[in-house]
Amino acid sequence: MVRGPVGEVTRPTGPGRLGAEADAAGPAVAASGRRRRVRRAYAWFLVPALALYSFVVLLPSVQGATFAFTDWDGLNPTRHFIGLANFRQMLEDPAARGALRQTLVIAAAVTVVQNAVGLLLALGVHSRIKSRNVLRVLLFAPAVMTPVVTAALWKYMLAPEGALNGLIAAVGPDSWQQNWLGDPTLALCSVAGVVVWQFAGYSMVIFLAGLQGIPQEVYEAAAVDGASGWQRFRHVVLPLLAPATTINLMLSVIGGLKLFDQVWVMTQGGPGTATETLSTLIYKNAFQLDEYAYSVALAIVLTVFVAVISGGQYRLLHRGGEAAR
Amino acid sequence: MRRTHRLTAVMVAGVTLAAGACSSGTNASGGSDTLRITAVATDRAGTEAVLKAFQAKNPGVKLTTSYSDTDQYQGTLRTQLSSGTAPDVFFAWPGNGNPAAIEVLAPTGYLADLSGRSWTARIPAGIKPVTQVAGKTYIVPMTFVGIGGLYNQQAMNEIGAKPPTTWSQLLAFCDTAKAKGKVAFALGNQTDWVTQLVNYALVPTTVYASDQSFDQRMKAGAATFAGSGWKTALTKYLEMNERGCFSKDPLGTSFETSVAQLAKGDAVAAIQVTSTLNQVKSQAPQGTGFGLFPVPATDDSDETRMPGAAGGAFALNAKAKNPELASKFIDFLATPEAMNAYAGATGNLPSIPNDQFKHDPALQPLVDFQKAGKTVHFMDQLWPNPKVQQTHFTGVQNLFAGKADPDTVLRQMDEAYQGE
Repeated sequence: MVRGPVGEVTRPTGPGRLGAEADAAGPAVAASGRRRRVRRAYAWFLVPALALYSFVVLLPSVQGATFAFTDWDGLNPTRHFIGLANFRQMLEDPAARGALRQTLVIAAAVTVVQNAVGLLLALGVHSRIKSRNVLRVLLFAPAVMTPVVTAALWKYMLAPEGALNGLIAAVGPDSWQQNWLGDPTLALCSVAGVVVWQFAGYSMVIFLAGLQGIPQEVYEAAAVDGASGWQRFRHVVLPLLAPATTINLMLSVIGGLKLFDQVWVMTQGGPGTATETLSTLIYKNAFQLDEYAYSVALAIVLTVFVAVISGGQYRLLHRGGEAAR
Repeated sequence: MRRTHRLTAVMVAGVTLAAGACSSGTNASGGSDTLRITAVATDRAGTEAVLKAFQAKNPGVKLTTSYSDTDQYQGTLRTQLSSGTAPDVFFAWPGNGNPAAIEVLAPTGYLADLSGRSWTARIPAGIKPVTQVAGKTYIVPMTFVGIGGLYNQQAMNEIGAKPPTTWSQLLAFCDTAKAKGKVAFALGNQTDWVTQLVNYALVPTTVYASDQSFDQRMKAGAATFAGSGWKTALTKYLEMNERGCFSKDPLGTSFETSVAQLAKGDAVAAIQVTSTLNQVKSQAPQGTGFGLFPVPATDDSDETRMPGAAGGAFALNAKAKNPELASKFIDFLATPEAMNAYAGATGNLPSIPNDQFKHDPALQPLVDFQKAGKTVHFMDQLWPNPKVQQTHFTGVQNLFAGKADPDTVLRQMDEAYQGE
């Protein structure tokens, strides 16, 4: 009895289920085949773009990277394979160590301050203050200017007898005036300040887009629950701004690590080597010191460095953002 | 639908415009009557002047030119040479010491040998060595450039001083200018190449006046910067700074700001290359007079020497697309007509002296020192690699920032010199 029903149940179930699967698998297999065919057709559309990208970006980059293993000076028709000698030289080069330290400091300073200022500005212009559209345009305006131009303007304003010291002289004691770009202890901060001035508006726009994407109901619900202004910001706004924060931090870290234009125009890496970054060191070695191959090795290290830091940061923030949601 | 059409039209127009813009440069190197020339931006006025004269004599020739700042120029030229796209004739530096100097470029075979040209015999003996590599001439030198104290005559009158002829007078000159509320010497040490000029003005006296074989001894490893009169020069440079001779905060002052200070008379003088004179004049109020004095480094004015050397020069591309026309242009550059036009436009002296040239009266001291054989080449022209100069720039900035002393800077320069 027991077996019967079991047998009855088991027997038809087995082949029956398999049959059902087979019946269902028929159209499923057909559909996935179609999808594969469609995907393959789409892939053909990618070929021209990929070919162009390989030809213009990948191939020259890989070809260029091979110079790091030679002794080429950037000019001589002949070059020799020297293995990892350029990378070993980097470890012993005090200029490279100094540039790495300065690069990390400026990238960290720019990332933190630029995003803090950008967030504050975004919160400010997101409120119902008058002429907020004009303010948005004004605050974003520096970001559309060429870094070289803004750096040249600031170079004049930060001169010992420039506009900034003139302004300070008008409102405070002379001791407040500084040699902004000529004092090795201040120069790096001054350069970072100019970068923040230019790109805080850029961060603001991204944060603003994030803020505008938060539904009004969420604010209202939090208010009904009796959350204070700070609590609303800390527990509602900040977690919902996670995607904007991730993008902003990524962009500013990458920008900070690659910083060149502003440094070159304002200080050329000086005074001494106080504002030397990896990018200015790469330029100097390639075009002023006949050390082309060494500069390529430095560039490879910088590329790996940027990729690892920004990749790690993205994973961390993305995971954090997902968890917050 | 209409919107799509409009978008398509805009895209087509954009692509056409881009294609047009990108293709406009392709015929730059073609044709037997086309000559491509490139020069550094500081010598643009001189280059334009000779091109105008050459064009007047050769109306059928099409000249395409490009100019860029020194750093960019050197990098671009090297890339063009190594990739076979360099112009027919290009600006190059005499001697050695920078990435586009002939000692660096000639061994690679990118420069045409000009030794067979008739004008090479007229190059003065004083500058001949820096126009040659291994006994072969590779450039036609255009100017003779000096370094000295360029001064604003009105500002000098206002403080009631005269150009100093001894070291003690120079320090007293600083005190007088300061007491009258003026800067004695405008100094823009934020710009790296400016950092070297005071040393270049002092070293001919502190080193070469008593040791003319210093460069040969350096090359042989028998002399060092640290054990030479270079230390005296660096110490005096610092002494001038401590005495308040220079602009407020030289490390925060750029070359452009220092030129403006001299032009306006806020600074009485500036230790600069003579080719800056025209730039200073162009920014000065109408009627301002300027002069030049050799910078003294001792209290015996007879010992004073002045840096004076071949400045701008042009080389012929060994793989010129149009070698015949390029050679013709190179020969034209060596004529008194071209030399004088170039020197006049850049505020220098012609490298091959001639009676037809009427120099700026302000340059008289340089002419006198050249005639008396009291000029010394620019130091980097005989250094073995560009690193020595870069180390010098960084070292002077560190010196002014209080982060190094003369011994440290000179030791680093010795290491860079011997690193070759």
